[in-house]
Amino acid sequence: MFFHIFLERNMLLHPRHFGPHLRDKLIAKLMKDIEGTCSGRHGFVVAITGVEDIGKGLIREGTGFVTFPVKYKCVVFRPFKGEILEAVVTMVNKMGFFAEAGPVQIFVSNHLIPDDMEFQSGDVPNYTTSDGSVKIQKESEVRLKIIGTRVDATEIFCIGTIKDDFLGVINDPGAAS
Amino acid sequence: MPRRLEDEYEEEEDDAEEELDEETYDAYDARAGGRKRGRSAFIDDAAVEEDEDNYEEEDEEDEDELRGGRGRKQRKRGSEFFDLEAQVDSDDEEEDGDEAEDDFINDAGADLPDESGGRRTHRPLNMMPEDQEDVEEMERQVYERYAKSSHIEYGDDATEVEQQALLPSVKDPNLWMVKCAIGRERETAICLMQKFIDRPELQIRSVIALDHLKSYIYVEASKEAHVKEACKGLRTIYNSAKVMLVPIKEMTDVLSVESKTIELSRDTWVRMKFGIYKGDLAKVVDVDNVRQKVTVKLIPRIDLQLLANKLENRDVVKKKAFVPPPRFFNIDEAREMHIRVERRRDKDTGEYFEMVENLMFKDGFLYKTVSMKSIRSQNIQPTFDELEKFRKPGDDADGDMASLSTLISNRKKGHFMKGDAVVVVRGDLKNLKGWVEKVEEDTVHMKPDMPGLPKTLSLNEKQLCKHFQLGDHVKVFSGVQEGATGMVVKVDAHVLIIASDTTKEDIRVFADNVVKSSEVTSGITKLGDYELQDLVLLNNKLFGVVIRVESEAFQVLKGVPDRPEVMLVKLREINSKIDKRVNAQDSRKNIISVKDIVRVLEGPCKGKQGPVQHIHKGILFIHDRHHLEHAGFICVKAQSCIVVGGSNDRQGGNKFDARFSLRPSSPYLQSPRRPPRGPTDNGGRFNRGGRGNDTLVGRTIKIRSGPFKGYRGRVVEVTGALVRIELDSQMKIIAVKRDDISDTSGSATPFREPSRYGVGSETPMHPSRTPLHPYQTPMRDAGGATPIHEGMRTPMRNRAWAPMSPQRDHWEDGNPGSWAGTPQYQSGTPARSYEAPTPGSGWANTPGGNYSDTGTPGENSPLYGNSPSPYLPSTPGMQPLPLGSANYLPGTPGGQPMTPGNIGLDIMSPAMVGDNEGNWVFPDVLVNVIRPGEGPSCTAVVREVLMDGSCKLALGPTGDGDIITAHPADVEAVRPKKSDRIKIMNGALRGITGKLIGIDGADGIVKIDDTYEVKILDMKILAKLAGQ
Repeated sequence: MFFHIFLERNMLLHPRHFGPHLRDKLIAKLMKDIEGTCSGRHGFVVAITGVEDIGKGLIREGTGFVTFPVKYKCVVFRPFKGEILEAVVTMVNKMGFFAEAGPVQIFVSNHLIPDDMEFQSGDVPNYTTSDGSVKIQKESEVRLKIIGTRVDATEIFCIGTIKDDFLGVINDPGAAS
Repeated sequence: MPRRLEDEYEEEEDDAEEELDEETYDAYDARAGGRKRGRSAFIDDAAVEEDEDNYEEEDEEDEDELRGGRGRKQRKRGSEFFDLEAQVDSDDEEEDGDEAEDDFINDAGADLPDESGGRRTHRPLNMMPEDQEDVEEMERQVYERYAKSSHIEYGDDATEVEQQALLPSVKDPNLWMVKCAIGRERETAICLMQKFIDRPELQIRSVIALDHLKSYIYVEASKEAHVKEACKGLRTIYNSAKVMLVPIKEMTDVLSVESKTIELSRDTWVRMKFGIYKGDLAKVVDVDNVRQKVTVKLIPRIDLQLLANKLENRDVVKKKAFVPPPRFFNIDEAREMHIRVERRRDKDTGEYFEMVENLMFKDGFLYKTVSMKSIRSQNIQPTFDELEKFRKPGDDADGDMASLSTLISNRKKGHFMKGDAVVVVRGDLKNLKGWVEKVEEDTVHMKPDMPGLPKTLSLNEKQLCKHFQLGDHVKVFSGVQEGATGMVVKVDAHVLIIASDTTKEDIRVFADNVVKSSEVTSGITKLGDYELQDLVLLNNKLFGVVIRVESEAFQVLKGVPDRPEVMLVKLREINSKIDKRVNAQDSRKNIISVKDIVRVLEGPCKGKQGPVQHIHKGILFIHDRHHLEHAGFICVKAQSCIVVGGSNDRQGGNKFDARFSLRPSSPYLQSPRRPPRGPTDNGGRFNRGGRGNDTLVGRTIKIRSGPFKGYRGRVVEVTGALVRIELDSQMKIIAVKRDDISDTSGSATPFREPSRYGVGSETPMHPSRTPLHPYQTPMRDAGGATPIHEGMRTPMRNRAWAPMSPQRDHWEDGNPGSWAGTPQYQSGTPARSYEAPTPGSGWANTPGGNYSDTGTPGENSPLYGNSPSPYLPSTPGMQPLPLGSANYLPGTPGGQPMTPGNIGLDIMSPAMVGDNEGNWVFPDVLVNVIRPGEGPSCTAVVREVLMDGSCKLALGPTGDGDIITAHPADVEAVRPKKSDRIKIMNGALRGITGKLIGIDGADGIVKIDDTYEVKILDMKILAKLAGQ
């Protein structure tokens, strides 16, 4: 789920950046530092939409670095248990398949794939229904439900299922070809 | 028969029980009863009552445990003894041995049980007279005792506090541990008891022998002296035996019994204890408590052939060692082997069985009725494999149920904790989910997850099972997969399927073996000295990376590059850990070291990329995070990889660079301009043709300076100005500047000379021009590698050379600075001083080779051989040789030939000379034979070239003199004159004869005999033919 929230961070800025463009430098650094990171609490920071407030800088003794408390608004993405997501399949193997929804990697175990879909190994490993009408392979787009998340310091990993109503392949580029 | 009933209805049978007990604690127990009383008195007067009650209670509880075999035995035994009532119970105890005995100790607090310990044959003899003596007294006492208790309601109201009061205190007599002869504990106890009966003045109160404690008995007495007194004179107790006091705290432990409730019920898993099925998993299908028999279902281990043989009364070869593997019984197969299979209906169950002889089969399983004693029902943990085998289609629920009941019976204490999610698996509330609120012993208070139910329900632990939901992150805490973590992807009753965090593999575990956890591990990572991801050397000289640690073994990805091979390796099969820092070369000769990121270029894992974890014997173990198999490890040959960010360049210089990248000189040597010049360069410097580096490779050389001075070795590789040499004396390869080496071996290098001559002959101008380059090169080198020596020497040489050699005029032009700038070298320092300590000598002979190939007399002489003073023209060649330049300048031509020749030989490897000779010497060629010390040489005709390079010569210009054998070093080709018949000794036209039609400086104009072509060839490769 996406959220647009305020976050705060203390930015450490090198004295060489001091000057007329200090603010720009600070924001640039903030974006560089923050965007794409992941925290367990908020999830992935997708984009910084604006800087609300930059507090007074505090010069650190000895180093000359300055700490600015920066309050910024950003879009975060955090997957939740039970959430329905659309994801792109990145890898298929006999244990299941991996899909990505933006920065989140989701593993769908073969136990969580409908029973009528069988794993077909070969050049393009895939899961196919017995009648061959539905096929999950690399690059397929699937709709899945997250049933579990594991949050590391730098990564959120999810387990998903497509064994439910209205879940499964929504667009399969491979099938068309 | 009350005893029988009691099995089922203990509670109601209290009275009967007591009556029985009354009889049970037979006459001879009178004293025990009395003692017990006495003991109670110690505790508290007030407590006595309760005390009694509690004893009763315990008694009754014990009865519970005893139920089963007891009644039956009693019936059986009772008739065996005269003293019916007196014997009955004690016999029971005996039979039930394990469980019963200890309980009884508690009950009576007396030595009764000890006496019961298996001496049934003589006990009645011993006891009976005694018993009968005070039987009346006994009766009275017993009656007193039980009459009282029988009226008391007891049961639930016995609180813990009351129980506490029973615990021994300081006031109670102590327990003493006495050592006795091993295996005679019971005997000792009975003896002591007998002794006590005989001599009532003994102050001991009870004697206890425990079955599980060998060579010790416990004696209850107030003082140690009393114990000693009692033990005195007993055969089975050693005099010296020390009497040890049992601390009060431990007294209860001595007599407490771990309840072993054998709950054999249908569908439990058991293991066989004996026979060919020993250790096999079996499932109970029927229990006959009365006959102590169980019917179990097994996967048969039957050798059909053997069975067939037996049935046909053929010879049955008894092969004891052979245990047939378990497999399902197949009727058709059996019939094929002419085994009669009957189909019968079981009387009791109404099920059909296939009967072979007296074996019962159903669905391929063997149904076997065995004694309860021959199966083990405790701590059975069937593995999934075993369960899978038992599982038949449509049998799922059944199998699960079975494993569930087994699991539950195997649970440890404290299995449930507050907050655990549980599900009811048995009883009316089955499938009700909830959370554990409180755990009390076996009872679990649970908060149901269902509206309309009471807030908490208390259920027996056995009715509950842990419950997990999809997506829960859990950790396995017992079983084969112990330590693994993952997310639940499937809940199948009490079996969970977990997607492991690390491998994403499925793990099947019992819900009972799992706890919720946020931790991420891959299970156990260490076993013995070896950890996950270690590179280990196996016993069979294989090596591999540990990709998984199991409870007793490792999974090792073997170091076989073609396809991934995983091996299960036991701890002891691992030799050692390989922990060396080694490097390897990738396909582009870049150096790969551990942690470098490489990409696989070929093979099954093509395209994979990751950091190198281990390198061993040119095989890389790459860890690719996205590779799911084998814990992400890929095993590839170093050659089929490329370092990411490495160079794609295949140039030699690169190779060199990678290897010696720390050397500042390397960029220098790598300069792109160099390679094209290489051949000339080498040719010039090294007295060998334009073949470049290759010529040196494989040659045996001697190192002339540097730390390895004096070592001999074989050239492995030539890279720029460095030569890698494999030392003969040491097992290593070193890099040496090529200037620091000199050829030493006599090994033939035929290719070298031809090329040189080829160059010379085809392009007559070259010989003179070539020197120009070599001299530049040293200067470049001087800048990079050996600044001083070469820098100094080069100019010196220039100068020394220039004036003397006419063809070197341009040389002077080329290097005027050095010429003019360093005149003092010439005179001031003898050339030798430079030569000796430095690669100079190498240099010295190099130019010699270059300029005119005159560095060696051998080469000189053929060229100038037929000139009257052959050495004069060759003098320039001598120059670089370690003669002082001063020496040289005024040098007398006559004296020179020998000296420089010798020196030249010293410095140049004799081998080279030999080579040359061997090469050039041809039959029919006219040569000069030099015999040291004989003054002017004489001419001879080569008649034959021998295998070892020496040649047979016929003396005299026409070859009509004596035949002698000479070493090639001692002969020189005679330099042809104009219109002489010649033979070409080297180059492309080697061996061809022709006529010298003119001489142009150092070149000869030759008309080839066969083709009449006119060629301009270096004079050096022309030799005069004899017989003209």
